[in-house]
Amino acid sequence: MGWRIRVVHETGYKYSSPVHETYNEVRLTPRSDSHQNVIVSRVETVPATRAYRYEDYWGTQVTAFDLHAPHTELLVTGTSVVETGEAAEPVRDATWEDLASEAVRDRYTEMLEFTEYVGRDAELARIAKNLKRGKDPVDAALAACERVRETMTYQAGTTGVHTSATEAWQAGKGVCQDYAHLTLVLLREMGIPARYVSGYLLPRQEVEVGETVSGQSHAWIEARTGGWWGFDPTNGIPIGHRHVWVAVGRDYADVSPLKGIYSGGSAEALDVSVHMTRLA
Amino acid sequence: MTPVSRAVDRRPARAGGKPTDDGAAATDGSTAPSTNGAGRAGGSALFDGYLEPDRPNPDAFDEMFNADGSVRAPYRHLHDAIAPTAAADLAARSEALDRAYMDQGITFSLSGKERPFPLDIVPRVISASEWSRLQRGIVQRVKALEAFLADVYNDAQIVRDGVLPRRLITSCEHFKRAAHLLNPPNGVRIHVAGIDLVRDQEGTFRVLEDNLRNPSGVSYVMENRRTMARVFPDLFTRQRVRAVADYATHLLHALRAAAAPNVADPTVVVLTPGVYNSAYFEHSLLARQMGVELVEGRDLFCRDNVLYMRTTEGEQQVDVVYRRIDDDFLDPLQFTPTSVLGVAGIMNAARAGNVVIANAVGNGVGDDKLVYTYVPQMIRYYLDEKPLLPNVTTFRCWLDEERGHVLDALDELVLKPVEGSGGYGILFGPNATAAELQKARKAIRDDPRGWIAQPVVQLSTVPTKVDDRLVPRHVDLRPFAVNDGEDVFVLPGGLTRVALPKGSLVVNSSQGGGSKDTWVLAASRSSEAERELGERGIASAAPARGPAAEHGPELSLGQQQQQQQQQQRQQRQQVQELGGMRQEQVPFRTEVRR
Repeated sequence: MGWRIRVVHETGYKYSSPVHETYNEVRLTPRSDSHQNVIVSRVETVPATRAYRYEDYWGTQVTAFDLHAPHTELLVTGTSVVETGEAAEPVRDATWEDLASEAVRDRYTEMLEFTEYVGRDAELARIAKNLKRGKDPVDAALAACERVRETMTYQAGTTGVHTSATEAWQAGKGVCQDYAHLTLVLLREMGIPARYVSGYLLPRQEVEVGETVSGQSHAWIEARTGGWWGFDPTNGIPIGHRHVWVAVGRDYADVSPLKGIYSGGSAEALDVSVHMTRLA
Repeated sequence: MTPVSRAVDRRPARAGGKPTDDGAAATDGSTAPSTNGAGRAGGSALFDGYLEPDRPNPDAFDEMFNADGSVRAPYRHLHDAIAPTAAADLAARSEALDRAYMDQGITFSLSGKERPFPLDIVPRVISASEWSRLQRGIVQRVKALEAFLADVYNDAQIVRDGVLPRRLITSCEHFKRAAHLLNPPNGVRIHVAGIDLVRDQEGTFRVLEDNLRNPSGVSYVMENRRTMARVFPDLFTRQRVRAVADYATHLLHALRAAAAPNVADPTVVVLTPGVYNSAYFEHSLLARQMGVELVEGRDLFCRDNVLYMRTTEGEQQVDVVYRRIDDDFLDPLQFTPTSVLGVAGIMNAARAGNVVIANAVGNGVGDDKLVYTYVPQMIRYYLDEKPLLPNVTTFRCWLDEERGHVLDALDELVLKPVEGSGGYGILFGPNATAAELQKARKAIRDDPRGWIAQPVVQLSTVPTKVDDRLVPRHVDLRPFAVNDGEDVFVLPGGLTRVALPKGSLVVNSSQGGGSKDTWVLAASRSSEAERELGERGIASAAPARGPAAEHGPELSLGQQQQQQQQQQRQQRQQVQELGGMRQEQVPFRTEVRR
């Protein structure tokens, strides 16, 4: 393991009048695998709540809590210390024939189907078909990531949490969530099982040990070509030391970091910050 | 209901006394076929032209008459009782039935309009041996489907073993990922099942579909019986009909058994979407008969994964929720965020083991019309048994070869949407225009997972009163099964729905159907207690205690509504006492006849 990174993800809500009842689910807890090792992770709230934890259908750690004391502010903080490994090579164990087999198509059916975010689009289907020609699955997948990156302009604020891949494509602009959804459309059109990954990215390569930088929630994709491997289409880089993953799913809806409902208050202001510190 | 109207109700019952007398004579001939039984179907004026050869669907199995016009054994007593009835008598009896339902305010909503539920005067009869076969088949099916749901929401071993494809499950709209690994304390997910059966041309009962989410209609089973017993007590004297009034006892037992083992005296509630729901009558009836609170979502809340009911005496923890709300509206945190019918956080409360949701969330993956086609395989896989009840032949449009057949032969098939219910969206190939068929073919190609097709099943027919005659009309049957974790109880009877328009094969009440009282005959040696009207069942259907005795504190909300319920309850008890008086006479008469 190479780097040790601390991630502090704070989400603050402000309500114009007191909220009497709120129910929330938080997906902020990274899990260990061959890429990363989670040393410590916790989720805290202010006002304090009694947390309930479970693992959801996708294997993500969920922290659920409810709050009944009247409040006008709610702060949710997820803190984790994670050791991250070097970038791994894509897995080149499957041919197009393997991917087209009934066994693979049925086993990974959820990662091949289209969703509201990852919707079918005639133009994207044509692009996928062209990109696929003459390449093996891994090269085709990398070409799809490249195509999304070179076509799209990274611009925060142009798309929202509910923007679909097609809408982002038509706008030509978007953020990492849109890049990931678009790449998933292309990969699934090609018949490569592909999933959405949510996590964090340390923004710069050259960060001193002990230095805290403003990081960001991030999203990328994983493709399955005999084994799962990740790629970051927004930055055009493999998943390496700077990436900390939290959850995987079919699209953003399966992994949204914080969702909840409340009653009482009328308006809200949402404030999100991610601070990342390289510890070693 | 006022005493005056009750008196009115009783009059036709007395008018019906005449056939009883005739019947008493006829019963002597029960060993040998009675005159009417041996005669042609046209032996009585009521049955004139019953088996006319040019009737629609002449190949359908008629449950009362053999093809030669003789009366089938289970119907013999009933036929003998009805046949001598004059047309005027028949009309009077039928009016009495209608009035009984109107007086009780039992209606159903048809495309937004409230109507009285038409109850036909001729019961549907199932012999003891037929029922025993059906009952075993239903129990087997419920057990296999329980095993399937437990498997699907855990490791899905059935998929790993290649018995059915994974995408069959993941593509189902009612497969709820939020229910993954949510294992109820006693393992039961199908607390109540309604298994829809039809009888084909050969008279074989086949399963048309399974209902594992919120099957409704059991209130009609009980109310049909209660009304028939009030209006035609004489019919019940001729043979032993098994009781249906103790359904709520079985349901309450199963719900209490579902609670976590640490709860000594579990609190059960019935959760209804509210008075505007078409099945609200049933929700309130079941709550009343079980002696538990009927609540709406706003009466409940979760705190720290415990479900509470708001009452005038403070919060009361709820252990089991018999919910009659669809999954999508049950928990706004997990499903539709804008739902005001459900309770936020109830899924996590259930996951934490603090409350049991009945029926379980996600059961819809077991009654999906495409999954249905795999139930025979499930029975072999989970139970290692041979399926006792056959399915209706079904073509699956998502399989290429079967889709090809459907597209070719669509004009001979019934096309059904996989997600549809209530008879909406069904296309009868033989009656469809070329344009409709073309449109349907396109719909199939666009969404193969969304459609199945079946050959037209000529549902069996039972004599049904239309104007002043009895004519064949097509019926189906929905028996209800209750699983308490130890045994699956099948209520002897079920909801027989009848398609009232001539030749119609669509029996759904949302398509203008009516219903029949469904008689399961007791085996000849069974005890007196098993028989309808021979049992205390009818009188004790509602809790005899005062409403407050077993109830928790009153709800803070909707007290007025509660009061109305109490009034209804008192009225009901009066009616039942009335029924009780009759009961004392009926077994006595039976004794005399022997």
